[in-house]
Amino acid sequence: MSIGELIFLLTIIVTMGGALMAVLSGSVVYALMGLVTAMFGVAGLYVYLDSPFLAMMQILIYVGAVSVLIAFAVMLIGPLYRRPKEWTTAGKFGAALGVALVTLFMFVRFVTETFPRVGKPSFAMTTKEIGRLFFDNLVLPFELISLLIVVAILGAIMLALFSRGNK
Amino acid sequence: MTDFFYNYLHIYLFVALFLLFCGIAGVVYRRTLIGMLVSMELIMNGAGLNLVALNRFISPENAYGMAFTLIIMGIAAAEAAIALGIILLIFRKYRHIEGGDLKEMKD
Repeated sequence: MSIGELIFLLTIIVTMGGALMAVLSGSVVYALMGLVTAMFGVAGLYVYLDSPFLAMMQILIYVGAVSVLIAFAVMLIGPLYRRPKEWTTAGKFGAALGVALVTLFMFVRFVTETFPRVGKPSFAMTTKEIGRLFFDNLVLPFELISLLIVVAILGAIMLALFSRGNK
Repeated sequence: MTDFFYNYLHIYLFVALFLLFCGIAGVVYRRTLIGMLVSMELIMNGAGLNLVALNRFISPENAYGMAFTLIIMGIAAAEAAIALGIILLIFRKYRHIEGGDLKEMKD
């Protein structure tokens, strides 16, 4: 086993462990830390998929922006000791596990029987080509994303402002 | 030479499937809205990983999967902003953020 495979296995373990921690931990803060860990693992998998630009964007946007937003939400909802307990009844846990396992087995069959097993070896999409793709073929979705983000930020500001005024 | 462990498509697909599994279990299982939001982000990460892996292995001649993953990242940022606003609103009105008691949107 080469060193690359070793790091790849470590990346997969980090991703899966982070996802499990995000779901199973009792505190919301630990769940957020697990989410950040899983996002770093996915960024490492993007590096192994020959797309380092996406790995950088993953770390910048998800780890940098989205998790900070969720951390703000965690900090703004009151003190830590008055948080509700995250663990609930065993019936609810069983129901969640059942729903997720049904999804898992459905898609396991789909994954194992649909796609070819070994990939093509060469793949080199540079950042320049992604930029050309965005500004040649995908101009309208690109602009719509920017419009969506502006509307989302304005909506969040309006929600925060007017609820305070009405109270 | 191409026989490395990380040159198989199914490994990436199974990791993405595991992320989807954890996300769905978390959305059903979590009580607080922030836990549900974290699980939704896990599902979106799994979708992005799936798209990039399929783009790399199935059709490596263009980059539409990677472009779509970048679009997913933008949508996730907007969604987190909106969810933060809604969670703050719910906390001001009800003084807690548990999802079980929220039965109607307007009162």
